[in-house]
Amino acid sequence: MQSEATIKSAGEIPVSEAARYNESLHQDTTAKLFLVSSISYFFIVGIIALVIAAKFVWPELLGTVQYLSYGRLRPLHVNGMLFGWLLAADMGLMYYVIPRLCGVKLWSEKLGIATAVLWNIIILGAVVSLLMGWNQGWEYAELPLPLDVLVVIAWVMFGANMFGTVITRKYTQMYVTIWYCLGTVLWTAFVYLTGNFAALFATGVNQANLNWMYVHNAVGLIFTPIGLAIAYYFIPKTSNNPLHSHKLSMIGFWSLAFVYVWTGAHHMLHGPISQWLQTIAIVFSVMLLVPVWAVVYNFFATMRGQWDQLRDNVPLKFLMTGVVFYLLTCFQGPMHSLRSVNAIVSKTDWIPGHAHMAVLGAFSFFAIAGSYYVVPRIFRRALFSDSLANWSFWLFLIGGVGFFVTLWLGGFWQGWQWNNPAIPFIDTVVALKPVWIVRFFSGVLMFGGIVAFAYNILATMVGSGTESSKTAAAHA
Amino acid sequence: MLRKADYSAPIFVVAALALFFLGGLLTTVVPPIVDKSWAKPFDNSDASKGVTGKLQPYTEQQLRGRAVYVREGCWYCHTQQTRTLLADTKRSGWRGVDSPVSTPDEFVYDSPHLFGTKRTGPDLSRVGGKYDEQWHRAHFRNPRDLVPGSIMPPYPWIVENEEEFQAVVAYLQTLGRAKNWRPDNDYEK
Repeated sequence: MQSEATIKSAGEIPVSEAARYNESLHQDTTAKLFLVSSISYFFIVGIIALVIAAKFVWPELLGTVQYLSYGRLRPLHVNGMLFGWLLAADMGLMYYVIPRLCGVKLWSEKLGIATAVLWNIIILGAVVSLLMGWNQGWEYAELPLPLDVLVVIAWVMFGANMFGTVITRKYTQMYVTIWYCLGTVLWTAFVYLTGNFAALFATGVNQANLNWMYVHNAVGLIFTPIGLAIAYYFIPKTSNNPLHSHKLSMIGFWSLAFVYVWTGAHHMLHGPISQWLQTIAIVFSVMLLVPVWAVVYNFFATMRGQWDQLRDNVPLKFLMTGVVFYLLTCFQGPMHSLRSVNAIVSKTDWIPGHAHMAVLGAFSFFAIAGSYYVVPRIFRRALFSDSLANWSFWLFLIGGVGFFVTLWLGGFWQGWQWNNPAIPFIDTVVALKPVWIVRFFSGVLMFGGIVAFAYNILATMVGSGTESSKTAAAHA
Repeated sequence: MLRKADYSAPIFVVAALALFFLGGLLTTVVPPIVDKSWAKPFDNSDASKGVTGKLQPYTEQQLRGRAVYVREGCWYCHTQQTRTLLADTKRSGWRGVDSPVSTPDEFVYDSPHLFGTKRTGPDLSRVGGKYDEQWHRAHFRNPRDLVPGSIMPPYPWIVENEEEFQAVVAYLQTLGRAKNWRPDNDYEK
């Protein structure tokens, strides 16, 4: 019990000491650049998201312009959201968080600025090449080889800065956010090399297996750990509350490190890949429930007795809603991997419902919360509007839930129909039209959330903040 | 290990990478070594061992057509795998004959692989030989002329480029034909 008490406070020390620390130590230029650009891409790629959702309802829309056809815009939507918005925002937040948890300056601000510039070159290059159809043909790894090389260079630059900062740290104990950040740096490097380079040397099923190892771990070992790094920092921070258990956070981290990498083949259940490999993927997919519950329980327990804060603390609303979505999406994942469930939901519209709950509902919510918390601090201005922030939350939530639930229902129904071969395929397409209409309008609401969020942040940055919203900064 | 990793970055790095490579190597490097069928092209002339046939490498024209298929992102909406599900073998079937399930040895020459993850349109793993050039020309120009209710985008720029169109059709006609599973009533016959 004695040791438990010290462990409990261990999570608290760096977080609270950071507040006492002299803020002027931190320059934060890199964090600013990453956040400005990622939030801009969130808005721009949001428009593309709406266009492709509209194409399901009105297939002739922009149909004769080859650069704007569905097959060109979909990879732009996926890559733009994953790498232009989410990963870049996550990196921007790490450039803010890690130096504070270590009690030192960022290892190299110049290197950070160069990384931000390079990252923007990559994203702009991605826009051009994907619209031109220069597509490698692998999901999540569409970018042509020269851009892949630049991504690797940018990642090494990011990793060097993170490791450099951690090695020069003043606080000896590493808070769990630091582990997740370093884990992300290491795993992403190898996951990315597997998916974008090793796959070049394989064909057929062997290549598919490498591709899905990458696709699955792009979510599981990139967006999950960096997203959790953010949640572990900002949930205690925004609620002004120590983390429930340091020990539990360790269990969650190491079980995630062990379990996640085995599960890639669950993307090919019932497909042309060895049965034994499918079974391994299923077993480890089910085991994912362990790290997920360890993490989620820790967050819930941290909030014990503090839930009333959710009434008017917008970043905390995003964080805790994100935790609920994280739990749900990580419950769905293992269930999808069961052969009987997979036979119904796999390849249907259920899957985009599930995927959006993970990357939008959970990880983007964490990044949005972090942005709302960090931007007023690094620009040293009050948030432009608290009520607009609250609006953005409700637009995201209602639009998001509408989107997820509609696609689950539609996808389940679709899978059920597919399993009855007496129903012609085209009838199963026509049947989904109402689902796609609701999905489009849910998307409009979500885009409204993006607009409210991006406008609020950008207005804060350029200094449109009014005196009346000073309370937001005082609240910090 | 846990306590030490808490204070020491080097121990942390070693442990995190060790766990990663354990699962990573066992699920990516080992399977193709254990399972030879991943790399051996389908070839069976003995009817007593099941469906006969031989996987042919792609011709240059077929490869150009495949590149168009990749460029236009056809694979985002069309899977290429007849799974081990009864309904899949029926849906991939033709004129009352069920299709065999897809096996790894049918895809040995595929790069990029195009198995796909989403079936917005029908699966194409056995589409080769089912529709003739005339049908594809009309369908690419406007899918709804032939399949009312379809949401496939029109591809006029493919049809208007005769060389490209021929290449795409040549590629599509190869799909699923390593195995001689169909009755002799293709459009070709």
